[in-house]
Amino acid sequence: MIFFGQLLANGLMLGAIYALAAVAYTLVYGVVRLINFAFGELFMFGAFLTITLMLPSARLFGFNVPMPALSVFLAAPIAIGCVILMGVVIEQIAYRPLRAAPRLAPLITAIAVSVLLQSLAQTIWGPEELGLPESAVGADTPIVLFGGVYVSLVELIVVVIAVVTMIGLTLLVYRTRFGRAMRATASDTDASYIVGIPVNRVIALTFAIGSGLAALAGILYCLAYGFAHPTMGFLPGLKALIAAVLGGIGSIPGAALGGVLLALVETFGAGYLPSGSAYKDAIGFAILVLLLFFRPQGILGRPELNETSDGSLLGGRQGGKVTALVDRLAAIADRVLPSPAYRNAALLAAAAAVMFLPISDYWLRVVIVALVYGMLATGLNIVVGFAGLLDLGYVAFWSVGAYFSSILFVLVLKNTYGIDPATVWWLFYVNLVAGGLLAGLFGAFVGYPTLRLRGDYLAIMTLGFGEMIRIVTTNWVGLTRGPMGIRGIPNPSLFGFSLDRPRSLGLLAVALCALILVIASRLVKSYVGRAWVAIRDNETAAEAMAIDTRRYKLLAYSIGGMIGGMTGVFFAHFQQYISPFNFTLFDNILLLMLIVLGGLGTFVGPFVGAFIWITFLQVAQEWPIVQAFPESRYAMLGLILIALMLYRPQGIAARARPALIMSR
Amino acid sequence: MMQKPQTSGEPVLSCHGLTVRFGGLVAVRGVDLGVHGATIHSLIGPNGAGKSTLINCLMGFVKASGGEVLLAGRPVTGMAAYKVAEMGMARTFQNIRLFGGMTVLENILVGSHRNLETSIMDLLFRRGRAAAEEARFIERARELLSFVGLSGKDDQLAGSLPYGHQRRLEIARALMLAPSALLLDEPMAGMNVVEKAELAGLISQIRANGTAILLVEHDVEIVRSLSDRITVLHHGERIADGLPDEIFADARVQNAYLGREMMHVEG
Repeated sequence: MIFFGQLLANGLMLGAIYALAAVAYTLVYGVVRLINFAFGELFMFGAFLTITLMLPSARLFGFNVPMPALSVFLAAPIAIGCVILMGVVIEQIAYRPLRAAPRLAPLITAIAVSVLLQSLAQTIWGPEELGLPESAVGADTPIVLFGGVYVSLVELIVVVIAVVTMIGLTLLVYRTRFGRAMRATASDTDASYIVGIPVNRVIALTFAIGSGLAALAGILYCLAYGFAHPTMGFLPGLKALIAAVLGGIGSIPGAALGGVLLALVETFGAGYLPSGSAYKDAIGFAILVLLLFFRPQGILGRPELNETSDGSLLGGRQGGKVTALVDRLAAIADRVLPSPAYRNAALLAAAAAVMFLPISDYWLRVVIVALVYGMLATGLNIVVGFAGLLDLGYVAFWSVGAYFSSILFVLVLKNTYGIDPATVWWLFYVNLVAGGLLAGLFGAFVGYPTLRLRGDYLAIMTLGFGEMIRIVTTNWVGLTRGPMGIRGIPNPSLFGFSLDRPRSLGLLAVALCALILVIASRLVKSYVGRAWVAIRDNETAAEAMAIDTRRYKLLAYSIGGMIGGMTGVFFAHFQQYISPFNFTLFDNILLLMLIVLGGLGTFVGPFVGAFIWITFLQVAQEWPIVQAFPESRYAMLGLILIALMLYRPQGIAARARPALIMSR
Repeated sequence: MMQKPQTSGEPVLSCHGLTVRFGGLVAVRGVDLGVHGATIHSLIGPNGAGKSTLINCLMGFVKASGGEVLLAGRPVTGMAAYKVAEMGMARTFQNIRLFGGMTVLENILVGSHRNLETSIMDLLFRRGRAAAEEARFIERARELLSFVGLSGKDDQLAGSLPYGHQRRLEIARALMLAPSALLLDEPMAGMNVVEKAELAGLISQIRANGTAILLVEHDVEIVRSLSDRITVLHHGERIADGLPDEIFADARVQNAYLGREMMHVEG
């Protein structure tokens, strides 16, 4: 009973923080229909700024800077003020120009902002935890309730502040003029504008309030747990999103309820289920997936929010200098090699020839990594670029392929049966196919429950699946060896000739690229590709044209998954070591960004994006700023993507859009 | 080959007692309708009469609360829209729904799904079969493009076409399904007199091929000159059904709809 009471107390405290952050999410979503992925980062900035202001001196950018050592009651409001300012500036620069843009553009921008802010925090404060000063809030002595349940004063303060804030917010939304303007803007932006509501100001203020709430939640979190860290906002940000969806996104009481429920389920799950604490985070995602499957509108939400999807993903303007250059290059290619078959053969020969250039092994490996990213991005591009299904759990397929072959070769054959991998060299090639098929099957399995979902909900559900897979691979130590990863995966070989040199591995990678591109292009340049793009551009019209949209969506997940799985098998045998850290949400976001950078819905786009990024990573290593702050590279990627979304949303190689007709 | 409008015999598309409820609101109440082959059957009525809901329901985009829909004598009530399309019903949309990211030719080719004979395995491994089929589809698509007057625009992006051409492309795309029943939801909305006349000519030609056409249109002059038969909806109920001359003489119709509309036209 005491155990139960303690869990209840802990759960309610966590619930208060989740609820606050979820309300922040839901408020902004309700008004501008944007999932602001950067909320986790605003949360984190709130915590960091508060602690920094409370210290006598802090290390910023690697320098010791004297700080005012304020009390928390002064530091917290200043920090909240700063974060509000950040939120408003972000809205002005990154979101406002995209308000009328198709749905993927603002979402990508929000993800880019999130990456930018997180890298910025790592650059400023470094990768370590920043501890809260001792006895920051005064008495840390626990208060004993009901004979045995320990609650600290801080925890009580956290709960009280959260509850008071939410009551205040509810009054603001339902009892004031501003609240009325906000609700009007939420239900119809254009009509509100016509009747004289200053829509831009209302949205800016909504962002301000949402950002302030996120910062407050972050401050409460760091008060309760005693530290700040650049990635601390990631999981609470996702949890807040889950809680908001759980309660019905757009509904304030729903978000509060969702936050408390989620925290209670997590806390009790961790306390009572066998090895529950390891899977604590997976519980939240499992609830999310089940909820979206059975009741996408959440507990208190309205169903129509699932319907905002039709239209192309990024839209886009044509023109500009870059486009003209790309056009001219394409025209030259057309004249020199008129037949697409010759052009493809020439491209393949050129790629293979790269492997024979006198370049160092190091750079050959860099090229191979770029090819791996290009292949993965190609698979994701099938799902996102052609079929228009935003998938944030795609790396799971990559990990399925990689783990399948690694477990078979190392844990089963070598360790259990003592079979030398060299004697079963052919198995690698079998695994390429089998791993691909397994991941493809998995794609259909994961895709099935998402079929009813559209737009943002789809993104959230796939994100939930991806995170569940990562948590399982981290914690199911018996199968995957957990965070230790699997070592000693053999390099591929061919008839006893080991392909362990970067040159031969590179040729193998080129061959695999060719295979994947042949599969992808044969499907895209046919009625299958037309069905995918039809679903992307207008799902209703696609159904009217006798297209079984569910079947083609599942096919897109399967083919994308298959490509991811095949690449995973190669990746494992190329790198010879895999661990759950290879397959994170960040990698998924990175892949998405690479496709957007290169050009969604093109074949060259994923490779263009991958090569630009991998080359940039290498070149930037020489720059002093990057040597001092390695994370600044990701901040730069974030900046580039935001600029791209604002000025050229269709990507660099947009003109390379393939014909969806079989070429003869 | 010219086909005479069939006013007797089995209708190609029909519904009986079709009812659609949205919560407490009854949008369509017990409507009977029969559209025969080689016939232009107009569906008219004031705004909010339930015309679009009826069309959406016929094709399965909106669930019927009661009644049944028959296509070529077979029940299609409650079927998914894509299955109804497979069985031979095609439509255009009141607000144009083209695939903006595809070219004109690709848009039409999307309609080839009803007549697919090759599988995905053919696409990957037996290229000859698939290529031959694709060539047949392309030939048919080009015929339709020239039929609607869009020859030579194959490679333009559909989204960049002028408005009138988008309407024509949407009709060509629907015809690619080789439908036995074609539903046109306000195909002339937003067009000028010349464009309307051209489109009317096109619709007559589609009728001449034997297709059963259900037309929703607001322009009374066009409806009068083009229709073989007219059904009038008012507040979700069928208040009249018959030949154009009978309809325009009906006092109830004039009260509900035409009177006001005629005043607009004349005054």
